Amino acid sequence: MDAYLAAIVSVMLIYVLLALGLTLQYGLTGLINFGMVGFFAIGAYTSALLALHGVPVVLSVAAAAVVAGISAWPIGLASLRLRDDYFAIVTLGFAEIVRLTLTSEKWLTNGVQGLSRIPPIYEGTGTAAAFVIVAILLAVTVAAIFLIHRVAHSPFGRIIAAIRDNEEAVQAIGKDPARFKIQVLVVGSALAGIAGALYAHYVTYIVPEQFVALATFYVWMAVIMGGVGRVSGAVVGTAILMFFLEGSRFLGDFLPWISSVQMASIRIGVVGLALVLFTIYRPQGLMGDFTKR
Amino acid sequence: MRGNRRDVLRGLGAGVALVAMPAVVRAQGADIIRIGALNPITGSGSPYGSGMQKTIFAAAEAVNAAGGAGGRKIEIVAEDGQTSPQAAVLAAKKLIEINKVSAILGTWSSGVSLAVAPLAENANVLLMHTSGAPALSTPKVNGKGLFFRFHANNERSGAAFAELCKRRKFTRPATMAFNNASGIGNVDGFRKTWEAGGGKVVESVVYEPNQPSYRSELQKVLAANPDVIVTGSYLADTTIILREWFQTGQAVAWAIPGWAVTPELIRAIGPTAAEGIMSVDAISNEDDPAFKAFDAAYQKAMSKPGQSNVYAAECWDMVNCLTLAIEAAGGSVDANTLKAKIREVANPDGQKVGSFAEGKAALKKGKINYEGASSALDFDATGDVKPTFGAWTVEGGKLVQKYKFQA
Repeated sequence: MDAYLAAIVSVMLIYVLLALGLTLQYGLTGLINFGMVGFFAIGAYTSALLALHGVPVVLSVAAAAVVAGISAWPIGLASLRLRDDYFAIVTLGFAEIVRLTLTSEKWLTNGVQGLSRIPPIYEGTGTAAAFVIVAILLAVTVAAIFLIHRVAHSPFGRIIAAIRDNEEAVQAIGKDPARFKIQVLVVGSALAGIAGALYAHYVTYIVPEQFVALATFYVWMAVIMGGVGRVSGAVVGTAILMFFLEGSRFLGDFLPWISSVQMASIRIGVVGLALVLFTIYRPQGLMGDFTKR
Repeated sequence: MRGNRRDVLRGLGAGVALVAMPAVVRAQGADIIRIGALNPITGSGSPYGSGMQKTIFAAAEAVNAAGGAGGRKIEIVAEDGQTSPQAAVLAAKKLIEINKVSAILGTWSSGVSLAVAPLAENANVLLMHTSGAPALSTPKVNGKGLFFRFHANNERSGAAFAELCKRRKFTRPATMAFNNASGIGNVDGFRKTWEAGGGKVVESVVYEPNQPSYRSELQKVLAANPDVIVTGSYLADTTIILREWFQTGQAVAWAIPGWAVTPELIRAIGPTAAEGIMSVDAISNEDDPAFKAFDAAYQKAMSKPGQSNVYAAECWDMVNCLTLAIEAAGGSVDANTLKAKIREVANPDGQKVGSFAEGKAALKKGKINYEGASSALDFDATGDVKPTFGAWTVEGGKLVQKYKFQA
């Protein structure tokens, strides 16, 4: 039981990191990034490949953050002058390009066979090791929360909030919104890269088909349910999402007359229903501003 | 909906408690052997997954009706692997940690099996899978010998295609592969055997899934003027490819995996276009009592013939093979004992048996050799089954079996 709970918490923390990246980009700055999974994949493959060639995991995860961040930079240059919706399309396309590149470049990524036997975050087996891994992931997540919190409450944070609320006004006072947006994009993508690296070392096996658009939308669901633009929203939203996705396993044990085929559909249906109810009754999300309606 | 953050947090706390509860609620007697069924109910394995899972339940029911294995009843705990390594890892952790299963049966995609493998190895839990990736039976992955493959590995099925092409005296083969581990594995296995035999592959094309048309890929292959095209493909893409090929009018033979050449395919493209298409697959032991029993159970559960899901037949064998091994081990579920016992009850020599009940009775007299629904079910030293392959040809809108061979 303990190791299983630790597993759920570990995966949740990895998703929290992604949700934090999206909170910075969308919640605080208003960038609609539909390509989170692309940066996630870049981080996963960078770290996995380096670690498989003998680089210590700590360094390979750091390298993953750098590579994912740098890869976001040209996208920002090319597309941030576009309107919001076009930026969303560009990032969605970018994630697909990443996935197809990973599939095709066999010499590097082993193509559809995937990379196996990736060194784990922490060597060792059993419950104790599972908790060490949780502790490591928790430390990274807390650091990320602290970072985002500091950013949000800095002068930089006020500028990006202003860009989100009224970009023309920011231009009118002589600031260059594109520069800030690129910085936000790079930092958020680096977070996604770290999440990807940790994912690779956690699951120890990666293959391009894991990095489909669905992962991006899981993160969006978490952020929308938790509360857009709030750090606590990213955490709580991810917890709710994991509760729905994993909780249904136990529902199956309680309600044995429901087959797993039906359960799979129910699970997706319940998440969908929750999203609809949230947009109707609490569009600001669970941790959003409760004084507003 | 009104409320405040405190209510929300309270609600979340209650939710977490709900998740934690089942472990307490479902403590059960020691005389039950729990076995995990981790099948692809959703995702790309979904055409097979639910059939696999229902087959596992049906097989366990038959075992329990015969008095259980080693005097202990079998309980199946089913999970959806979602054809996704991440989801499968969590599901496997739940099966191992909470349900305390002694074996995990029926992981389907190679990605899922490779991801679950380290967990099973660490927990000393047997893993019986239907994946094709050769890596799964290498010492690097299967170090403790706890994994058993019930499906032909890609190299073997590729070799079977090469054998067919040799028998039919083709000289200019080309390949077309669906871009995933199984599609590419199949044509790579073919190429390896074919080139080892001194042959040459004139063109190979890999195509992306879910396209409305494969015309450009097809043109590229046909331009090399092959006399046979070997594919690693699935039903949906094969249908489109064959339709587009028939429109070109160019004469060429096709050798396609058996899971893609189904009555649905022949109906979709028409018997004229389908005439002469060859298919190769691991053969179900259709005349065997085990297959008949499986077929009856599968018809009852899925209202479809057993031939339509070779993976379900393999799952049927997993349950029988595992429970016979437990029976032979006197009810022990220790993985290291069972891995030897599985070979003892499945491989020759010994009295041939086709069901758990029959095997249980025969075990009292001496050694048995379980002949499965999916194959004769003999395992080699690496845990791979040695399947018999069959080659079929479409004649007059029907699949006619032509050869049987080992590869």
